[in-house]
Amino acid sequence: MHVITSHWGVLGRGLLVSLELSAWTFLFAAAGGLLLAVCRISPVRPLRLFAALYVSAVRSVPLLVLLTLFVFGLPEIGLVYSLFWTVVSAMALYWAAFFGETVRAGVRSVPPGQTEAARALGLTFRQVLRHVIVPQALRCTVQPLASLLIAVVLNSSLAAAVGVTQELTGQTVLLDQQYAQPLVTFGAAAACYVLLTLAIGRAAAVLERRLAVLR
Amino acid sequence: MHSTVRTRRRSVPLAAAAAVAALALTSACSGSSDQSVPGAPAAAHKKAKTSALDKLIEREAPASASLMPPGSTAAEIKKNGTLVVGGTQTAALFSQLDPTTGKVEGFDAAMSRLLAKYIIGEPKTKLVNVTAATREALLKNHSVDTVFATYTITPERSKVVNFAGPYYVDGLGIQLREDQTGIASLTDLKGKTVITQSGSTAAAVVKKHVPSAKIQLFDTNTECLQALRQGRGDAYVLDQGVLAGNASTNPDVKVLSTAYEEQPYGIGIPLDRPDFKKFVNEWLKKIEADGTWATVWKNTIGTQVPGPVPAPPTLD
Repeated sequence: MHVITSHWGVLGRGLLVSLELSAWTFLFAAAGGLLLAVCRISPVRPLRLFAALYVSAVRSVPLLVLLTLFVFGLPEIGLVYSLFWTVVSAMALYWAAFFGETVRAGVRSVPPGQTEAARALGLTFRQVLRHVIVPQALRCTVQPLASLLIAVVLNSSLAAAVGVTQELTGQTVLLDQQYAQPLVTFGAAAACYVLLTLAIGRAAAVLERRLAVLR
Repeated sequence: MHSTVRTRRRSVPLAAAAAVAALALTSACSGSSDQSVPGAPAAAHKKAKTSALDKLIEREAPASASLMPPGSTAAEIKKNGTLVVGGTQTAALFSQLDPTTGKVEGFDAAMSRLLAKYIIGEPKTKLVNVTAATREALLKNHSVDTVFATYTITPERSKVVNFAGPYYVDGLGIQLREDQTGIASLTDLKGKTVITQSGSTAAAVVKKHVPSAKIQLFDTNTECLQALRQGRGDAYVLDQGVLAGNASTNPDVKVLSTAYEEQPYGIGIPLDRPDFKKFVNEWLKKIEADGTWATVWKNTIGTQVPGPVPAPPTLD
């Protein structure tokens, strides 16, 4: 047990890096995902086609394969930047596909009659999106997006496999190597992840209640 | 392509043989550049080395039954018919898969085959891939009988596993890209990014000597080497024998000649099998005395590290 009590700092810093990694990833994935969702529901055929292709291509590659491809493949074509941001970009591109599909499902849940009504009132495509569809779509995607965020946080542990050993799982592996007590070290890491996901779940529940519209 | 004579690839405790080294390395270089040509001299040469090892393994006499009383670990392994070895397929000169033969070759591989022959009567081994991170765990839960994997003996590790040996002593070396200059020793790594294997002893040593160095960890030798070649770090620090192996297969990297901190390699054995440690130590004494150890060295590590065969390390 003293492995943990005397190494709170190590685990804490690892947790912080994991959070940072997940936060940036989710932020960029959200931006990319929204863009993808807009493309998929846009009236422009090439955009729809591009988004559909992107989603089906990226979603079919295991995240670890994608990470390895980015970390060891990009330098082969002369693109070398910091490992942390390489991992963030790979993860963001990956999760953007999921984010986009989630948002699209939300948009589809808005009855077409509303869109037609908005159009009839003379709103442009952008206005229809901003004032009618997106607010309602986001409301019913709160829970699925929270699940997505949980997946992002948990899968940030894959970063350790491609050299970002500063994050929580990486630090745990290093602690385990030093003290060879996997039950204790990985147990502590698991507890940290559980706390994180519970917090995300709670936050999502609160947010959902706030956004709920009484009909 | 790489026709320049590279004299810096000489290795470990044999810096004295510098002149011979330059000569030997020149030939080694031209040899490796010919490897893509079928039937090139290098390939034929390699074959000869391998068959020398095969002969050696054939000659290894099985242990007498009195050394393996019923209930001992060795007797159990003999009953199982295979020695399950924790090792790797990616450490050149020590344990590397030869894709043309499908066999794992190198110092560690040959030693494990010799041990299998000694116990079972046939060189039957089963290789379980290990990384620096998984060795202790696999020994602990008896997934492997023993570990031959450039496994440095440290006080911390000795608490969780038994080490037979040491059977080889290496030092930490520094690997650089061929075109790099300005790094000649460990102290030149101040403020630089140093790549090393997670779970290896190198990270701690670098931190001790140059606290300002930034450590970048990867899981395997291949990943570390690739990261160095792709410029993710300024130097790759690991056991010099492994680095010499890297340089032998990758002409775009070099190894500095100086080595730091002795790294005694041990044969990993589960903590609850002290009888097997004694058994393996007796075997090591035997093969070191009868010249088998020297022959293995000459045909594996000795093909890249110039100089006479070193004296095997004294057992703990």
